[in-house]
Amino acid sequence: VIPYRLVLSPRLAVPRWLTAATLLGGILFGLLCCAIFLIAFGVPASDLGNEFIVYVFGNRAGLDQTLTRAISLTLVSMSVALCLRIRFWNIGVEGQLWMGALAATAVSMYQIGPWFLRMPLMIIAAMIGGGFWCGLAAIAKVRLRADEVITTLLLNYVAYLLAQDLLYGHWRNQADQFPTTPIFPRYEQLPTFGGWHLHYGVFIALIVTAFCWWLCRYSRFGLLSKAVAENRTASRALGIPVNRITLATACLAGAVSGLAGFSIISGEEHKLTQFVGNDYIFPSIAIAYLGRANPVGVLVAALAVAGLYTAGDSLKAFYQLPDTVVVTMEAFLLMTVAAFDVFVRYRISIHRLRPKVVVAQPAVIAADGGQA
Amino acid sequence: VNGFLGDWIGAIPVFAAPFLLATTGLIVNERAGVLNLGAEGIMSMGAVAAVITMLSGFGLPLAIVMACVAALGMTALFALLTVVLRLEQVLSGLVIFAFGVGLSGVIGDSYANQPIKALGPVSPALFASLPSWLARLIDQDPLTYFAFILPFIVWWVLERTELGLRLRSVGENAPAADAAGVNVMGMRFAAVLVGGIILGLAGAHLSLVGSQVWVTGMVSGRGWIAVALVTFSRWNTLRAIGAAVLFGAVQAVIPLLLSSGLHVPIYLIQMLPYVATIAVLSASGVGRLRASAQPEDLARPFLREERR
Repeated sequence: VIPYRLVLSPRLAVPRWLTAATLLGGILFGLLCCAIFLIAFGVPASDLGNEFIVYVFGNRAGLDQTLTRAISLTLVSMSVALCLRIRFWNIGVEGQLWMGALAATAVSMYQIGPWFLRMPLMIIAAMIGGGFWCGLAAIAKVRLRADEVITTLLLNYVAYLLAQDLLYGHWRNQADQFPTTPIFPRYEQLPTFGGWHLHYGVFIALIVTAFCWWLCRYSRFGLLSKAVAENRTASRALGIPVNRITLATACLAGAVSGLAGFSIISGEEHKLTQFVGNDYIFPSIAIAYLGRANPVGVLVAALAVAGLYTAGDSLKAFYQLPDTVVVTMEAFLLMTVAAFDVFVRYRISIHRLRPKVVVAQPAVIAADGGQA
Repeated sequence: VNGFLGDWIGAIPVFAAPFLLATTGLIVNERAGVLNLGAEGIMSMGAVAAVITMLSGFGLPLAIVMACVAALGMTALFALLTVVLRLEQVLSGLVIFAFGVGLSGVIGDSYANQPIKALGPVSPALFASLPSWLARLIDQDPLTYFAFILPFIVWWVLERTELGLRLRSVGENAPAADAAGVNVMGMRFAAVLVGGIILGLAGAHLSLVGSQVWVTGMVSGRGWIAVALVTFSRWNTLRAIGAAVLFGAVQAVIPLLLSSGLHVPIYLIQMLPYVATIAVLSASGVGRLRASAQPEDLARPFLREERR
């Protein structure tokens, strides 16, 4: 029908400049799409620069909000990135975050340990809670071959509903009957930097980033997981413990998500609320992908996306745009960056199909084979 | 039978129909080898398009058509990413999920929480002589009837026609299908679009029959359950009927329990469908069921120029 054919031929070697240029091109094109989208919904074009640069990074309130949001975003995205490195899709960061928050809250509610050990215990509990939740999906994958895309996703709902059950049940604040726990005592709250909302969770995020960077780059584990990512069957044949690496990575990733839960309840909310783990699934995937599953890249991407949220808040306030405008912009960005990847992976050419050559037909032979 | 149980049975079809439509649409996609995780976003777009059409004063038929058109637009984007550009299907699906949920929230914002005239039962008078619970069970709206007829049509096309054979061959072994002269890209593109239209109908059912209003985020995970139901029903649209009725039954019992005033752990009951899906996913991995039913080339992009 169309006289042209799109031909994608896989590239064997990819020059570095091309990778960088594609990423940049994808981001710029994505931002352009976002700008058109916002203008279409009534934001004046002249205000865009103001919203995105000045408000997000240029004033103290905006910067405070951006950095605070970046803590939890970095942690959950690091979790996705770790799993992505062995090609395990962790779509369950929300559930792991909830389980981490629940475990940490349990330590607080039942007053486990003396007060000076309380916060370390909460941190450990949060890591165990999150790690357990992601580990469940990993066990189901390696033992029962249940697809992790679906199991991690469904575990989100289970954890969320468990939290609701507790918040409307045993853990409900008896004082005012709101579905939250009582406010944590001071020694269970992460300290803030004087006068800012920004809290010491920053150090958790930085330590986790540094650890993951070391793990991926210098450890034996990182090397083996690279082999697992490339080819599971071949790795198994080489004697690499594929299942154990999958399990360990998943548990570690879950623990990192659990830490995000701890950082939110202890650093930001100072209590368990219904809104601890909302809207992290897609941002975490987007950040991990934009950061190329590289811990340092993830940190940078998380900061940028956190800025997007701050901009979204001001768009909401000044132009009455709904919450979902942020997730739409994230989708635009991820879509364009991922689509631009085509240029890295394939050499694209458009071949013109030659018109069919009419072969000269031999003279019609009679039905009896020409014997007559 | 006329008390609690009657209410429950009568409510099941309306709750089951969106699951059934969405699962059927996704089965069409997955049998052609395309894993569509964007169902939630596509259904959201369908739901919001239907409501906007209704609130703008156009009739029900146009609302259903517009739901399909909106879903088709989203799916075309998904097909462009996965089938033409050969992006990773899981990633593309997640992008479409976020894009659909986000965009439906933005364009539906000024139409939110405004009730619409619902798509009602076909003819209440016709079944008046039956016991009331049976009448409520049978007397449904056209979209629900269609939801329960469609799986049979899709099953027949997939299993009994040459078109179905070609579609399945693309999902099972794309290189072999290509060598046999099937246009893999065209077939996958078409399958994704057809599945997308059905997902749009599922979204329309949610807003026109179910809630009769648009609320941001109202699909609330039903698209994801449908993705899981495809595995639950082992890629067979006839089994999908049973699966959808089962999940519809669990969802239908929740509002009844809430209004009955019984003291039950409501959140733990809501957990049941999710836990059941995980259990079935895991259990089907133990036997040979899964291995024999899953399309072999599911979620694997096909490119003739690429060696595998």
